[in-house]
Amino acid sequence: MLLTRRHLLTAASTLAVSRAFAFGDASLFVPAIAQHGGKWDARINALRRLSWELQRRTSIEVSLEVRPLPLASPKLFDHPFIYFGGEGDFPPLRGEEIENLRRYLTYGGFVFADANDGSDAAGFDAAFRREIARVLPQNPLAPVSLAHVVYKSFFLLDASPGRLLKKPQLEACSLGKRGAVLYSQNDVLGALSRDEGGGYEFEVMPGGEAQREIATRLMVNAVMYAMCLDYKDDAVHLPAIMKRRR
Amino acid sequence: MDRAIDTWKLVSLSPLPLWALVLLGVATVGGVVLAVLSVRKELSARRRWTLWMLRVFAGVTAMFFLLEPGLRKLQVARIKSRVAVLVDRSASMGFPVESKGQTRSSQAADVLDALAPEMEALRDRYAFEIYGFDPELSPVSTGTLRTQPARGGRTDLLAALRAAATGQGGSTARKLSGVLVLSDGADNAELATGLSPRTKAAIEELGVPISTFAMGKSGLKDLAIETVKVDEFAFVRNSITAEVEVRGRGFKGQSTKVVLRREGTTVATRDIRFESDDDVQTVTFTFTPDQTGRFVYTLAVPVFPEEAVADNNTRSFALKVIRDRVRVLLVAGRPSWDERFLRGLLRQDPNVELISFYILRNQADVTGATNDERELSLIPFPMREIFLEKLDTFDVVIFQNFGYSEPGLSISSYENGLANYVKNGGALLLIGGDRSFTEAPGRFGMLADALPVEAALPADVQPFKARLTPEGQRHPVTALGGASQSSESAWASLPAIPGMNLTRARSGATVLLEHPFATVDGRAAPLLALWDYGRGRTLTLTTDGSWYWAFPAHAGGAPSRYYERFWSNALRWLVRDPDLTTLQVVADPPSVEPGKPVAVVITARLPDYQPAADAQVKVDLISADDGRVVGTKSGTTNSDGVVRIEFPPPAPGPYRLVGRASKGEKSLGEGQDAVAVRAVGTELADAHVGTELLQELARASGGKAFAQSVPPLSEVPLLEPPLVEVGRAKDQPIWDRWYWLVAMVCIIGLEWALRRRFGYI
Repeated sequence: MLLTRRHLLTAASTLAVSRAFAFGDASLFVPAIAQHGGKWDARINALRRLSWELQRRTSIEVSLEVRPLPLASPKLFDHPFIYFGGEGDFPPLRGEEIENLRRYLTYGGFVFADANDGSDAAGFDAAFRREIARVLPQNPLAPVSLAHVVYKSFFLLDASPGRLLKKPQLEACSLGKRGAVLYSQNDVLGALSRDEGGGYEFEVMPGGEAQREIATRLMVNAVMYAMCLDYKDDAVHLPAIMKRRR
Repeated sequence: MDRAIDTWKLVSLSPLPLWALVLLGVATVGGVVLAVLSVRKELSARRRWTLWMLRVFAGVTAMFFLLEPGLRKLQVARIKSRVAVLVDRSASMGFPVESKGQTRSSQAADVLDALAPEMEALRDRYAFEIYGFDPELSPVSTGTLRTQPARGGRTDLLAALRAAATGQGGSTARKLSGVLVLSDGADNAELATGLSPRTKAAIEELGVPISTFAMGKSGLKDLAIETVKVDEFAFVRNSITAEVEVRGRGFKGQSTKVVLRREGTTVATRDIRFESDDDVQTVTFTFTPDQTGRFVYTLAVPVFPEEAVADNNTRSFALKVIRDRVRVLLVAGRPSWDERFLRGLLRQDPNVELISFYILRNQADVTGATNDERELSLIPFPMREIFLEKLDTFDVVIFQNFGYSEPGLSISSYENGLANYVKNGGALLLIGGDRSFTEAPGRFGMLADALPVEAALPADVQPFKARLTPEGQRHPVTALGGASQSSESAWASLPAIPGMNLTRARSGATVLLEHPFATVDGRAAPLLALWDYGRGRTLTLTTDGSWYWAFPAHAGGAPSRYYERFWSNALRWLVRDPDLTTLQVVADPPSVEPGKPVAVVITARLPDYQPAADAQVKVDLISADDGRVVGTKSGTTNSDGVVRIEFPPPAPGPYRLVGRASKGEKSLGEGQDAVAVRAVGTELADAHVGTELLQELARASGGKAFAQSVPPLSEVPLLEPPLVEVGRAKDQPIWDRWYWLVAMVCIIGLEWALRRRFGYI
């Protein structure tokens, strides 16, 4: 068997998380991915890569094992972070999926939605907008301003690119002050996706490798936001952040 | 009544009604005027004036006959009226006139004795009624004034004057001819600040002269805490200001200290200096209470040997210290879902002020940033500021999966401070995880002694459902049940949690939740344990999986609020929320006047928070200055679980009321409160003589003010006793004399003749 860089990295990561594993999955960030009727699994390895980046860059303890979850499954509630991605259209969600997802989001769950096809008013974008409006009819998607805590939850960011830069802003469905759903049309995880040889699977346009790094940081921030909520908006952090932003 | 005397008066004997007399009078006047006008063109002034005068005289005589004047002879006599002599019987009359001399009450007795002969001489005309007022009127004698101390709680001169005017306590049949007031003028009711337009009008309305005799002398040497202005309650760890006025009489140029104590412990001291012989100095004390509860503070100035009164040199007040919001410090060893859901809960609680610090990056982590300052939002963990400088500002400190994971994050230098923080009343909550207890690379040193559990074995990561212990079934922290469900079934309905740290409960700890299977030293491993440590409390939850009670619990579709309720209970227990105690002890009232009993209301509840009827209660009254038990009383609660207990009046000072209750063999807990017994009431706070007020009273009513000397009673303004008719009146007409008729005829005839002569007829 050819020992690829991926295998080495996986092994190294496993060792790094072994202590946390000793305390069980519940202590870890588990990259869970939502299963829907369309192509939901285009970014499985990117999710694994995201876990690796989180382990490397932050104090979050992770599992590298991606966990697909049907949207109607009660197991959704074991994973407060769900990645909802896709390429192209997907069929309308069933009633129990809508109900389960609504309850999931209402009681504290978080969804990062990502148009892997970079679509706009078609394909995944059209389908996701249609379905999320059924899940949260009272809380529609709205642009996320650069002042939102997701842009400072770990890295200081002023842009939200992915593999592409179709749309400059993220959008969110907010429940109260909490962003329960974050949505990007820029295929953020696409920038982290690697091929079998260990190289990056996609070119990042138009910003190249610098943009890829920002996309990675955006995902780290999104997970940090899901786990720490508005921690970085606490008064004790504001002066330092304001100073650094200048 | 005096001997009857004869007198007379002029009256009208006409039978005509008044209106008829007026009409005829008007007609007569009209006739005179017409006649005058008719001769106004007379060229001769002498003739004109002669005719005018004759017509006027004719009119007068006509009126004379119309009115039918007569003399009414009658007999009258003077009725004895009353003079109210009001002697002040308030407590301030117990002050000496001079240092170590007779009391003011005794001086009043001397004045009455001096006036007694003159009063006797006037007894035919005036009835002198002597009353004491405190402020109710009641008859008093000079013997009483000398032998029985004045005790009235306040001085209300206006009320006493009103009562005297309406004849309360005496004979209302007699008219009041005057009032004599023997008082030190130290009014502390409506006239405390002198006569206002309203009270002056009230005095004038009495309609009698009020003469005042000032008892006591100005110039007494006295130091007094006159007023204390402070709120009734304060927020813990927020500063509060007490404004104190200290009056010094006879201390010109002298300095002294004002001391503020809390139940025997000095809080602050201020220096003051008096600039004149009657000076009031204001001092301000700003202090910050560090505990919730009720406390007695005492202000005191030294007692000088030559002072007239010593009791007014101290003043106590009760201050209730409450919490505004619970200030919580949350330190998380790393981001986790357990931290996320606890944060979410605390942030949405309006009663919680949350300050949090999370370790987002380990030393070994490679962030990928080339310039941390510009690319990362991370700030250094301010350990010194939190654990040294600001630690006492927090009500609860939570360590969530925070241990010795990083060399740079060692808190060993702060452990002593943290342990002392808890000992001195703070609260510590330790939540487990993969960086805690046996999973942590390092161990707590001194801080470990404050915890109810100690690390024992490696973590057990098998899912399990938490089991309530017998203590947990009764404890308020684990009380999740409501009207329709018991706590036990509520806990049983919660999902399993994915593992826990294995620890050993220390002796004296209370374990509320335990692992159903895992054991340490043969006993079920504790999941939730707590205890009191010094004046503070600590609680440990040896898992980072409690978030399963929040989020996965909703998977089934039936929402519950058990997670929120559990953490709310835990926080409230940690900060000693009174609602979570089974015994409440409340002083009623918290501040008591000298000589009044001290009362306390005890409310006892059973462990399930139902009222504990027929519970046996025992209360100790303890001096807060020296810890001495002054009294002990017992009682039994009623069906509402309430009992009120009274202690006989103790000596002035601060006290603590410590109550215990039990029902059968079961203890219902202990509670305490504070009560201040004042050294002096309002009466004894100030030894001054209100000479100005007494002078104002006399001036406003037409009386006189006297001080120091006893004047003759003839100098005291009094209204004359009223005259009344006695016997039958006799009328004698004077209009029916023949000469009045002749005069009228002559006048009318002469006028007619002259008019004819002058050509007017």
